[in-house]
This record gives sequence, structure tokens and C-alpha cells, in this order.
Amino acid sequence: MLLDYDRLGWLKPALLAFTMLVAAFLLLPVIFIVLLSFGSSRWLAFPPPGWTLKWYQELFADPSWIEAALTSARIAAMTAVLAVGIGMLASFALVRGNFGGREILRGLLLTPMVLPVVVFAIAIYAFFLRLGLGGTTVGFVIAHTVLALPFAIIPIATALEGFDKSIEDAAIVCGASPMQAKLRITLPSIRIGIFSAAIFSFLASWDEVVVAIFMASPTLQTLPVKIWGSLRSDLTPVIAAASSLLVALTLALMVATALLRRKLQT
Amino acid sequence: MSVEARQGIAITRVPAGLGGLVPALALIGLFFVVPVLALLLRSVTDPAPGLQNYAALLGDGTYARVFFNTFLVALVVTIVTVLVAFPVAWMLAIMPPALASILFGIIILSMWTNLLTRTYAWMVLLQRTGVINRALMAVGIIDQPLPLINNLTGVTIGMVYIMLPFMILPLVGSLRAIDPMTLRAAALCGASPLAAFRRILLPLSLPGIAAGGLMVFVMSLGYFVTPALLGGTSNMMLAEMIAQMIQSLLNWGLGSAAAFILLIVTMALYALQLRLVGAKRTAGGV
Repeated sequence: MLLDYDRLGWLKPALLAFTMLVAAFLLLPVIFIVLLSFGSSRWLAFPPPGWTLKWYQELFADPSWIEAALTSARIAAMTAVLAVGIGMLASFALVRGNFGGREILRGLLLTPMVLPVVVFAIAIYAFFLRLGLGGTTVGFVIAHTVLALPFAIIPIATALEGFDKSIEDAAIVCGASPMQAKLRITLPSIRIGIFSAAIFSFLASWDEVVVAIFMASPTLQTLPVKIWGSLRSDLTPVIAAASSLLVALTLALMVATALLRRKLQT
Repeated sequence: MSVEARQGIAITRVPAGLGGLVPALALIGLFFVVPVLALLLRSVTDPAPGLQNYAALLGDGTYARVFFNTFLVALVVTIVTVLVAFPVAWMLAIMPPALASILFGIIILSMWTNLLTRTYAWMVLLQRTGVINRALMAVGIIDQPLPLINNLTGVTIGMVYIMLPFMILPLVGSLRAIDPMTLRAAALCGASPLAAFRRILLPLSLPGIAAGGLMVFVMSLGYFVTPALLGGTSNMMLAEMIAQMIQSLLNWGLGSAAAFILLIVTMALYALQLRLVGAKRTAGGV
């Protein structure tokens, strides 16, 4: 009865204990970083000698951290809009189109997901050096959109595959124009896919560091580049404070996603 | 195969359907395919035409060591990840929904937490004076701090941590797809739990393990951030070497040749995976 939870016998406590251990392993760094950000030790000793908010004060007193966060948010937002727009058009073509080589085209569009990022990073870095796009917002957004596109196409195409096209056709039979039917019937029906695509594309850009390391200029750097620089030079607890805020943001995003999904599904 | 030729065929059939692909293909063609091909070109023309960059990479012991390290770490990470992920995925597939959703929440939280944040946590945790060493010493298991960071041990711990969700999540899907009746039948026929595991559960989940394992292996081969921060200077991995050749040494020829070797190996393994599980499941698993 290996696939019956209630009849596992002695295996159940053993497997459950192991699973809890792995869950603890997955949570450990996240909790640890938050605790560390309130610790008073400059040398990241744990448990810390005392608790303090001074790393947060230092973080907010330094405009370069805030500027980097705003740059990241701006680039990620533009990336999400572009990736979802382009990805939606592509998804319709991939799911509904009836042309040869569809699987090959799908594979081509998803390749940025499997190609090692470092290869793409140096390729686009060299390319943008020639075009004069290195270190520019436009350059960042283009490169991040390439990387985010697969993460936009997959959820939208999946949602579209699960949508019964005859409902859209019925709307057209009832007098809607094809565009009206798409906008008022199909898009609302696949909104969970579109919403997931937006979140994933945003995160793909927001978290992206390898391309950003190559692309960043002294005047334009994203938050991951800023953290990367600090990690390499000094392990200051200010990074823990910045990281804790990122954890808070992740949690907020997860809760928002869960709530919205529940609301959309009912 | 040329994209234009494909489009030409298609336009005669379904003009409306294909139009949607134009922006995506333009983006990927211009800002992905062209730059990567230009990089390949550079690897055989910089500084002079010929294959000398590849000869240098494959003939030199220092570079051979980097390739060896990279494959070794990717292999060890894949094996450990599979061993750790399997029991967790198994439980997730069958545990009561309330419990499973808490566990899913933890996995998603760790996956969505900024990559650098998680790596930073491990940098601090694994230090000589870090929590793990001090705890082990306090308990009396060791009396000297273990070297857990700036070596392959640190890289392996950090990478397994990063890769676990990528192995657990697809595996849950393939375990859920197994019909529990097959195991009930085995038990009725007198199979011991061990025999049922070895002869039914494991073989039936093997495609999922192979797909996930291949994915983790491919991702580990090209990983940059975690090895660069948790590894030492003496055991560099391929992605970091490529970045260094370009960024610090400005050796474009060698750097792009190394990038191309990484690309070829990755694409070959990806093709193998597509053959094993099909494009949709591969993509959906991520």
C-alpha cells in the first residue's frame, strides 16, 4: 500500500520525519537571514549578542540601495508587460495555429529557458556593446524579455489548451466579432494563466543576476547586481536587511497570488 | 531550417494563426539566435581564424580540471537531489491536502526567495565560525571546524538546496500519475513493501526521475552564481571561468569557445530529454 497514506505502516513516520527535515532545510536560510538582519553583530555571529534595527537604518540611509531597487522594479515591470504581450500572441499561434513545424517553433521560443544564462549573457553583452545598448534600460528590458518569454508562454499556452474553443465560436455565432469574442470570452477565461505569466516574467527579471552583472553600468544597476557587489566586497549585515525585505516581498506576492487565484477561480 | 521557409509554407495554410508568432520570433531571432551565433563565430575567428581556441581549451590541464570539476559537481548534485527529493515527492503525492499545501508553500517560498539571498544565507551558515560548524562542535561531533565553504562541499550543499524544488515538483506529478491499484494488487499477490517498491513504484516513477535528474544536471552544468560565491578559487566551475575570461581577462576567443562547449553539451542533453519525455512535459516541469 505504498501509495496509500493511511496504510503505509512503519514507513509513514520515517518518511514524514525525513520530509519535515527537508522542509526545515528549505526554510532554514530564509528564516536565518531574517533573524540575522536584526542581529547587532557586525561579524554575522549567531546567535547575535543583541537585537537592533540599525542595518535597516543604514539600508534606508543609503540612496544607492533604494535606487537599485527602483531600477529593478521598473525593468521587471516593463519586462512583464512585454513578455506577457508577446507571449500571449505567440501562445494563440502555437495552440490554435495549424502550420508545420509548430513543435520546432515552440522549442525555439522556449530555448532561452534551458540555455545556460552565462552563455546568453556574454552573447548579448557583446551584441549590445556593438549596438550601444549596453548599460541602458532598453538593453536590460530586451535581454530580460528574452529570458522571461518562456515563463510567459508556458502558463498562457497551458491555460489556452484547457479552454474550450467552441465557447469562443459560440460567441461569434451569436454575433460577436472574432476580436470581441477573444477579448470578452477567451481572455477572461484564461486570466489565471495570464496572471501567472505576469508574475513569473516579473520574477524572472527581478531575480536575474548573470545578464545584469554584464550589462550593469556605474549609473544603472539592478538590485541583484548591488547585492552581488556587496557579497563580493564585504559581507555587511545591510545585505541581510535588504534580503529580508525581499523575503517579505516574496511572501506578500505569494499571499496575493493565492488570494487572487481563489477569487478568480470562484 | 530556415524560419522564413517555415513561415512561407504556413502562411498559405493559416495566415491569421501565424501572425501572432512574428513579435516573439523577431525578439528571439534578433536578440537571442543572432547574438549566440555571433558568439560561435567569434570563437573561431578571435584572435585569428581557426580552431586554436578549442585546441587550447581541450589541451590544457588547467581547463581540463575546470571541465572535470563542473561535471563532477553536476553529477553529485543530481544524485543527491534525486535521493533527497524522492521521499519528499512521494509524501507530497499522497499526504492529506491540508498538510501538502503547507509543504508546497514552503517549497514555493524557498524557490521564489531571491537567489542571491539564499546563497548569502549559505555563505554565512557554512562559514568556519558559522552556525553549522559551531553547532556540530557544541554537540561534540567534531572538535575542529569543518571546511564547508570555498570548496566543492559548499558548492554541492548550496546547489542541492537550489535544485531541490526543480526535482520535487515534477516528481510529485509523475508519482500522482501512478495508479494506487497497481500497488494494492501487488500487496494482494503477496509482495512485501520492499518488493513492491523495487518492482513497481520505482520503475513506474523512473521516467519522472530521469526527466527531473537530467534537468537538474543540465541546470547545474551552467550554474554561475552559487558556485561563484560558495566555491573556492582553486575549484572553479565552467560558468565562472567563462565569465572571468570575458569580464576580467577580456579573452573573447577562449571565453566564447568555452561558452560554446557548454552550449553544445547542454543542448545535446536537452535534446535527449525531449526525446525521453516530450517537449510539453519538459517545459511544464519547470
